[in-house]
Formats: sequence, C-alpha cells, structure tokens
Amino acid sequence: MNMRAEIQRTPAEAAIVDAFGERLSLLPGDGAIMVKRDDAIEQIKAGLPTRRVESWHYTDLRRLLASVPAFDASAEAKAIAPLLEGSTLLSIVNGVSSATPDLEGVSFQRLGDKLVDGSYAPALVTYGSDDAVGALNTAFVADGYFVDIEAGTQLEKPIELQNIQAGGQSHVRLPVRVGAGSKAIIVERQTGEGVGLVSSVSQLLLGDDAEVLWLIVQDQPETATHLAQFKAELGKNARLTLFVMNAGGKLVRQEVIVKANGEGADFKLRGVNLLAGDSHVDVTMVLDHAVPHTTSTEVVRNVVTGRAKGVFQGRINVHQIAQKTDARMACNTLLLSDDGEFSTKPELEIFADDVACGHGATVTEIDRNHLFYLMARGVDEKTARGLLVRAFLAEVIEELEDETVVDPLEELLGNWFATHG
Amino acid sequence: MPAVQETIEQVRKIDVDQYKYGFETEIETEKAPKGLNEDIIRFISNKKNEPEWMLEWRLEAFRRWLTLEEPTWARVDYPKIDFQDIYYYAAPKNQSGPKSLDEVDPEILKVYEKLGIPLREQEILAGVQKEAAPVGDLSEDEPGDNVYKSGRVAVDAVFDSISVVTTFKEELAKAGVMFCSISEAIREHPELIKKYLGSVVPTSDNYYATLNSAVFTDGSFVFVPKGVRCPMELSTYFRINEKNTGQFERTLIIAEEGAYVSYLEGCTAPQRDENQLHAAVVELVALDDAEIKYSTVQNWYPGDAQGKGGIYNFVTKRGDCRGDRSKISWTQVETGSAITWKYPSCILRGDDSRGEFYSIAVSNGYQQIDSGTKMIHLGKNTSSRIISKGIAAGNSQNTYRGQVSAHRKATNARNFTQCDSLLIGNQCGAHTVPYIEAKNATAQFEHEATTSKISDDQKFYVMQRGIPEEEAIALIVNGFVKEVIQELPMEFAVEAQKLIGISLEGSVG
Repeated sequence: MNMRAEIQRTPAEAAIVDAFGERLSLLPGDGAIMVKRDDAIEQIKAGLPTRRVESWHYTDLRRLLASVPAFDASAEAKAIAPLLEGSTLLSIVNGVSSATPDLEGVSFQRLGDKLVDGSYAPALVTYGSDDAVGALNTAFVADGYFVDIEAGTQLEKPIELQNIQAGGQSHVRLPVRVGAGSKAIIVERQTGEGVGLVSSVSQLLLGDDAEVLWLIVQDQPETATHLAQFKAELGKNARLTLFVMNAGGKLVRQEVIVKANGEGADFKLRGVNLLAGDSHVDVTMVLDHAVPHTTSTEVVRNVVTGRAKGVFQGRINVHQIAQKTDARMACNTLLLSDDGEFSTKPELEIFADDVACGHGATVTEIDRNHLFYLMARGVDEKTARGLLVRAFLAEVIEELEDETVVDPLEELLGNWFATHG
Repeated sequence: MPAVQETIEQVRKIDVDQYKYGFETEIETEKAPKGLNEDIIRFISNKKNEPEWMLEWRLEAFRRWLTLEEPTWARVDYPKIDFQDIYYYAAPKNQSGPKSLDEVDPEILKVYEKLGIPLREQEILAGVQKEAAPVGDLSEDEPGDNVYKSGRVAVDAVFDSISVVTTFKEELAKAGVMFCSISEAIREHPELIKKYLGSVVPTSDNYYATLNSAVFTDGSFVFVPKGVRCPMELSTYFRINEKNTGQFERTLIIAEEGAYVSYLEGCTAPQRDENQLHAAVVELVALDDAEIKYSTVQNWYPGDAQGKGGIYNFVTKRGDCRGDRSKISWTQVETGSAITWKYPSCILRGDDSRGEFYSIAVSNGYQQIDSGTKMIHLGKNTSSRIISKGIAAGNSQNTYRGQVSAHRKATNARNFTQCDSLLIGNQCGAHTVPYIEAKNATAQFEHEATTSKISDDQKFYVMQRGIPEEEAIALIVNGFVKEVIQELPMEFAVEAQKLIGISLEGSVG
C-alpha cells in the first residue's frame, strides 16, 4: 500500500510489535480502550520515525532505538524519598501504582482502574502520525495516576508523581486536572536502574486563574531509554511554569506540547539538560498561542560533555487570531568536549501581525575571558570551569525563587557534577 | 532627505498594476516538442552543438531524475507540476548563437531596451561619461532605468532558452576574464567545464538540480584567472518570454587564486495566468584568497492579486570556498515569483574562509517564499554571517529556513545569524526555521530572530511629521532592511529600494 509497509522491521520495531501480541490479554481495558490501542500499534507497525520526519530530524528513533528490553515481572524497585520535603508521594513502581492517599481538595485515582472501566478512553489520544511517543504509550499503557484538584484549592505541600523501575518496560500516564483558581506544585520524578524502556505521558488541564509549578526531574540510568511527553492546556489567566531537568538516560526524548487556550495565559519553560557519556537527549517543544493576549518565555540551558548528543527543538505557533502575543525563546549551550554535539532548531510560525516574538540560540564553549578572570585570581582551571558551568545553569534554577524548590534542585546539580564533572 | 523622498515618489507613482515588466513580445521561436524524455535532451544537446560527453552527462542526470521524488518539506503549497506539459527548449528563430549584435533579432533588442538593459556597448560607454547617479537621486525615474544604464556593466542576456548576446567580451578577454554563455564555454573550454561543472552542485543533489542538469539550456560562464580583479561588474539578465516554457539556466563562476569578481543577476517575465517554472543552478568556486560577490534582484512575475499565475522559482545556488582565505558573499532581494524555493549556500572548505548571506525577501498578494541559506563549516577558523529580513504582507507566507553547521574538524568556526520578520496585515504569515548543528566545542554560533509588526509608536512618530501612512510604512521598512541594502552594489541598492516600495504598494489597511 505504501513504501513504508514494505520496509523490513528493525529488531526494536519487531520486539515492540511482538510484545503487543503477547501482552494483549494483560493490558487493562476493553472496547473503546482496545480500539485506541489497536490504532496505536498500527502506527508503530508503519515504522518508527526517522530523520526524514521533520519533528524527529535530529533523533532518528528508528536507528537509535537499537533494542527493546522485554517486560520483566521480576524486576524489583522501591519508591524513594520525595524530592521536595513534605510532598504527598504517589509512586509507580515497575509500572504499577499503589494505594492512593487522602488529601483535602484533591482526589486521586489509579489510572489502571480508569482504563478497566473505560472512562479514560476519550483522553487516550495521539496527536499525529509523527507522535511515536504517544502511540507507544497508548498501545501499552497499564497504569499511572489520575489527579483531580478541586477548584479554589491552594495546596501548601507539593505532590510528587514518582515513576521508578528496575529494568524491563514501563508505560504510564499521569493526567492531572487543576480546577479554577487552584494553586499547586507538582513534581514528576522519572528514575530507576537497569536496562529499561519507559514511556510516560503527562496531561495537565489548567483551569482559569490556576497556577502550577511542574517539575520534571529525569535521572534515569545510562542504560535506559526514556520517551516522555508533557501536554498541557491553559485556561484564562492560567499560569504554568514547567521546569525540566534531564540528568541521565541513554536515549531520552522529552516532548513538551502546550496550548495557551485562554486569554491572559502565561507559560514559562525552564530547562536544564546535563549530557554525559554516550547519551542522546532530545527536548522538543511545540507551543501554541491560540488566543489573543497570551505570553510565554522559554529558557533552556544545556551542558554537553563526553560523546553526548543534545537536541533542542522549539516551535512557537502564533495563530491568526492570537494578537498581542508576546513569546520569547532562548536556547544556550555549552559544548565542553570535542566529541559532543548539539543541534537546535528554534522555530517561529506566525500568522498574526500584532505580536512580539523572538528567539535566540547560542552554542559555544566557556568564554575565555571569564575563565581568565577567575584564573587571574588564583582559581585553578578545573575549579574555574566548574564554577562557570554551575553559574550558567544556576541562573535558570534560581529563577524559581522558592528556596524549598531551588535547594533540592541545586543539590541534584551538585550530585551530577560530582559524578560527571 | 533624498532617499526618503525617493521612496515616497516611488510609492506614489505606482498604479494598481504594480508589475511593470509584464509585457509580452511576439517573437518567432523555435521550440522543442512539449514534454520531457531522452529525445528532448538529445535535441537540446544537439541544438547546442555539444560534445558527446556533455550529452552523456545530461542523460545520466535525467535517468537519475526519474528515480527521484519531488521534495515536499518546504513550506509552500502548489498544485503538482506536470513536467510533460512544459517546453524545455524555446529559442528565438535564426538564433543559433549570434556572432554580433547586428545578427540579433531587433525585436529582442527592443525587449531589452524596454527592460532598460543596454546591449550595445557604445550605449553603455555613453553611460560611463554620464555622471553616475548617486543613491537616492532618481530624477530620471523612467521605467527600466536602473543599474544597467548608470554604470559600465558587462551583460549576458538570456532569452528563454538561449543566451542572445554577451557584451564587453573583448575588453574582458584583455584582462583574461572569460565571460560567455555556458553553451559556448562547453564548446570552447571543455577542460574547465569538465573540471568544475557539477563539482559544487552534483547532478544528484536534489530534484530540481538534477532536472536542471538534464535539461539546462543556457546561462553564464565566468572564469577569472589567478590574481585578476575583474575590471567591471558582470551581469546576466534572464527573461522568460515564451508561454509554457521552463527556464533552466546554469551559471558557473570560477575565481582562481587571488581573483575577485562581482556578479549581478536580474530577471523578469511576462504577466500570464498560468504558472511557469524556473529551475536554475548556480555554482561558484573560489580558490585561495579569491572573492566572489553574487547579487540578485529577483523580480519574476509574482502572479496577480488573486494569486493567479506567476513564476515557480526553484533554484539551487551554492558557493564552494574551496581555497584558504576565500570569500563568497550572496546578496539577494526577493520580490517576485509566485513561489520561491531557494537557499544560496556556502561550503566553507578552505581554512579561514568566509561566507556571507544578506537577504531581503518581500512577499505580498499570494506569494509564498521559503528561502534562506546554508553555511557548512568544514575548514578551520571559518566564519559566516547571515542577515535575513523577511517582510510579509497581503495573504503571503514568508519562511526563513537556514542551516548552520560546524563539522568535527572545523575548529573556531564562527557564525552570527540574524533573521528578522516584519508582518504587515493579519492575513499573512512569517516563519523562521533555523537548523543549528555544532559538532565542535570551539564553534561559536549565535542566532537571533525576531518577528514583529511595525509598531504604532514608530508609525505615529513618522506620521505626526506630516507623512501619510503608506509612505511612513515604506520609510520604516526601508530602515528595517537597510543592513542588507548596504551590501548591494550601489546602483542595485537603488533598484532594490524601489522594488520594495513597489511590492508593498497597497498593503496598508
């Protein structure tokens, strides 16, 4: 029928398709859910995206995903302490959620239950033929948490959604609904050990005037493949700050898909990507300004060492009616090794005339003048470099202001430098 | 402020029908049968008296083309082109390579006269004695009064499929510069053609470049030998006249060690309801210490106000900084064509070589532009600079697509990119798609892009001083593109400024 159908499946593609056949009877949900799963696996059967697919230009998934580990029922992992003190912890261990806690103004549900009763079917969507992460997740998703924060709830303590595994495969979804006028801090923790394949899809619906700080902290082992998607829709005057830290993984794709659907909505993306060894880390953002008077700023900072390859793609779409949009995007990279690579594609797609949009991208090594300044004051080169790199990243973290958030993140940063610096 | 006054005058003068080169001339032509197959290629090759190896080269390209698929990644939208519905060769009759101007059909000479391109050397010489008009002083603002009248420029005039005449050949030859049509070069200088043709844009490069390699009909050839600074500006003027013909020109410019050449390209076509295809290939080669400056004012027919007709401009332009310390600079002003698909690029192969790209792309009506550049850093200490200004008005779509890459061995590669877009009206779109790829830690890349509309404050400031809205916009736009205009040869700068005024006419409100 088409060319792609005739293409020989790669071992990874074959493994995924075979695994689907084997797991079918174990996957929760039937009827509508099953239809969605079937559609999704058909999409995978047509082939994983290659660099010829524009949104995967720098991450040839078909080539990079060399093998896929089998599902491992015997893998043992344990939930770890939450990142932020006093958090309400909801952990998913090896792809399985646990009993839900009680919290005033918030209702938690295990996603597995919502798959079994079919009530989650309408939300199980992929957004296009190039949505390989969504398709893989839709086909295999078995659990996760559904979090519903009532309107007008001001959460004092953060909620941590922890996804931890020890090898094998794990496919989870984390839908979160935040009611009008509510305020919350949510931590999405992605970690584990062993050779794993993880797919995770977060869906955030932000009501009018709601305010959320969402932290994604990914420090998978150097052997793991982590394919993640964060989708959010913002209501009127809603404010979302998304902070993404990638500090691990072998093959990582973090997609961020945000729609500013209500006037006055504001979106901030702050990213810190720490790349070492042979890792390939891709952060891809698609941001839609769909209505007038919305604002966004994105600042992504990357440090590349070893033979790592980093990618940042950011696309800002300004719809025709979205007048008075103010969007700024910056991607700065320190390329610290000769074998490292960084590619970036910051796109603007603008259909409204009364807007102010801009993007900037830089790729450099450490400024020699800065280095000289420190070394002239008796700081040795290694320390001076370390200081400058830390300062380069700290700028993004410190912007979060809240000490209870900033301190643990800086500690993570310190840990990374202790092992990779 | 003469420049301001000039813009205002220009904008005022233009009537509803803005394209002034849209006339059509009845000239008896000889055409190859419609369609494309190996026989047509043999026909073209035969018409050009080409040697056997050239025909083989073409046929190989054609066979390869048959296996390729039309690219769809560009942000342009058009009905599928029927490649069998095009004439691939159209030449004025009795025009098998004229020896002198007297042999050229007087009708053709009239066309160029109308366009303001003088083909008689004495005329041009007369122009030299006339004081060169300073920028902005355009008292004799007759249609077609442009660069070619005010200075001494050698012109290669290409009419549909063939080069009708090349001026100043003898004087250039004295300096050692070869300037002739590519067909002539294939016959007269096969060793140079064999060495350089297809060495920058291989026949397998892309769909349209491969098609061009198979069916190219004419274009210019420039060879500037070692140490020679070309004594005058060289220029090619392309004119599509015939209906349903495609123009496939091929230009090859070689600057040997230490040579310098500045080259201008201009183009127009009649106003027609159907679309016409123009798929050119331009190859530049700069050896050690050489410099090539290539300027284009692209003014193909853009189609009417409803988006009917116009030229499809699918062009592959690439410069190879093959030698150390060589430099290639592209400057382009894009105002015409229904669809533009064009990425003049620099391969910075030599150490310390430099590439530059300055572009103004103005789109109005239903025009679609997907244009930009590629700077491929391969050598050490290479640097590049990209300044791109896109202006979208009406219902047009204007995309900047550019790639900057540093390879592993390109230590100390530097790039600065700035691409700004200006939107006039709310039915148009401006897009920026840069690809930045660093594989070397010592590379230093900076990229900046902005999109905005003309701010009400700016407009108010100008209008408050008694300048009507449309003129105020023209003034601000000219300020916006100034950085690029400055890079153009002086006379061209004036023409470019005028063109921008013309293209934006009627876009206010």
